[in-house]
Amino acid sequence: MRGARISRWLIAGPMALLALATIYPLVFTANAAMKTRRDYILDRFAFADTLRWDNIATAWTTAGTARYFFNSVTVVAGAVALLLLFGSMAGFALSHLRFRGSRALMLGCLAALFVPFQVIMVPLVRTMADTGLVDTYPGLILAYVAQYLPFTIYLMASYYSAIPAEIVDAARIDGNTTYGVYRRIMLPMGRPALLSVGVLNALFCWNDVLIALLMMPSAEHRTLMVGVTSLRGQYSADIPTFASGVLIAAVPVLAVYLFFQRRIADAVTAGSTKG
Amino acid sequence: MPLGDFTPLLARPARAGRADGTGTAPPGRRRTGGLSAERLSPFVLIAPAVLVIVLFRLWPLLLGVNFSFTGDGERNGAAVGLDNYTELFADPLFLGALRNVGWLVLLLPIAVAIPGMLATFIYLHVPGHRFYRSVYFFPAVLSPVIVGSIFNLLLSFDGPVNSLLGLAGLGPVDWLGDSNVAMFTVVGVHVWATFGMSLVVFLSGFATLDPALLDAARSDGATLPQVIRHVIIPGLSRTIQFVFVTTMIGMLTSMFGLIYVMTSGGPGGSTYLPEYYIWIQQGQMNRPAFASAASTVLFLVMLVVGLAQVSFLRRTGKED
Repeated sequence: MRGARISRWLIAGPMALLALATIYPLVFTANAAMKTRRDYILDRFAFADTLRWDNIATAWTTAGTARYFFNSVTVVAGAVALLLLFGSMAGFALSHLRFRGSRALMLGCLAALFVPFQVIMVPLVRTMADTGLVDTYPGLILAYVAQYLPFTIYLMASYYSAIPAEIVDAARIDGNTTYGVYRRIMLPMGRPALLSVGVLNALFCWNDVLIALLMMPSAEHRTLMVGVTSLRGQYSADIPTFASGVLIAAVPVLAVYLFFQRRIADAVTAGSTKG
Repeated sequence: MPLGDFTPLLARPARAGRADGTGTAPPGRRRTGGLSAERLSPFVLIAPAVLVIVLFRLWPLLLGVNFSFTGDGERNGAAVGLDNYTELFADPLFLGALRNVGWLVLLLPIAVAIPGMLATFIYLHVPGHRFYRSVYFFPAVLSPVIVGSIFNLLLSFDGPVNSLLGLAGLGPVDWLGDSNVAMFTVVGVHVWATFGMSLVVFLSGFATLDPALLDAARSDGATLPQVIRHVIIPGLSRTIQFVFVTTMIGMLTSMFGLIYVMTSGGPGGSTYLPEYYIWIQQGQMNRPAFASAASTVLFLVMLVVGLAQVSFLRRTGKED
């Protein structure tokens, strides 16, 4: 490895450039959001001389962004709560309880994992429309739960199966019912996995545009990502305001990424290496 | 203390495969009435998940395939045999979408090789490897809508990328307006946004690689390309296989947001992919049965591509 030191530095140069190419588009957008229209048109690259927040305020108040933001928060919170509840219950049952048909159910979950949304979206929306769930919060929440539940169950089941059966046995001997074991042992012990998979699911739901477009046709129910696409038409000549809208949609994601970087990467790889 | 129906997974391996549902209760299942809630507990725990998955995922799949053999509009619900499929394969837009899938398959090795190379360098501890790991991963958490919007700004005809090219003495490129370029632009942006995901998967694959092999290769004087060819690629064949399949699935199913924001399928339908086509037929054209036929074709394409890749990589893996 020592002999390769010089070539390692030769590799590091292009890698640093790539890192710049990864970061810069966001820096550019944030910078554009801080400029006046005039400044942006005159020089796109120059850094804004002062931090101006009025574009952000415009994007937040006049374009319905605030409303879309809270729609997104509502739907993501609902979907993640249900995903964690259903996912941990099923993950516990599939990893530690033996019952008729459990193997078949696990296989069914895995099969569902490989059915892409694009393949089922037409009949799904029809089914949802028939049951009056289109254009309602519960409808979109259910669609997200259906979309990400197989993955959540899979991760929770593989996490729980690493918990030794002896711990569960001990809890039974102490007089717990199955539900008690779930509530007192599995939920607390599963906290790291719940956090990882919860963060990942929150990102998936927050970032989605296709399911939201199909399930929430009316303007007042738009989620933030759909809202951003409509901002583009409204502010096509006013790039700083448009960039502000993009920034508003990206900042929660960036904050979550900075806080939970490791957990997100862990959840992604936990789903991959065992697959 | 009776254990009820709750028996740990590992304690009863002999019954592991039983899913036949014959009525005879296994020994140890006889309980007094007060325990029946306990007896049903596995089913209670799993019921919400099963209901959601069956109702909103597996049932629509069957419904969709069935639906694709019926008519739209005035022939609503009537059985039309293969009419939708015949029409589908006569539609130049759909054929264009399939041709674009062909491009994706050809570009796939690049989309896998980039994160693979970068992961190798990070694994070999280039200076700053920790920093690179988290920086490269970060676009993967951004929504396609955000990524697409940002690149719309960067790639506009009078935008920053073209002014950079201008500084280098190169003419402006109409990144999103030229039908020969637009598909590659969108794929390039998709790769920009997702290579970090594959990189992290590669790195977790490297964690399973035996470092002794690398040291042995080094002490035998192997160069970096030789190490990659003879140690890393064979050692990571499972990971490489996994990344190939997930990258392909990602290209076929998660570019909707980018296409929607960046090109809307244009110019001249040159950036259509099957998923976008399905959405247009369903949403804009109001032809759900026809869209279902396109969905079924997409499903088959993914199945074929996935299986072909797995078997191809199996074979090359064996030769090593």
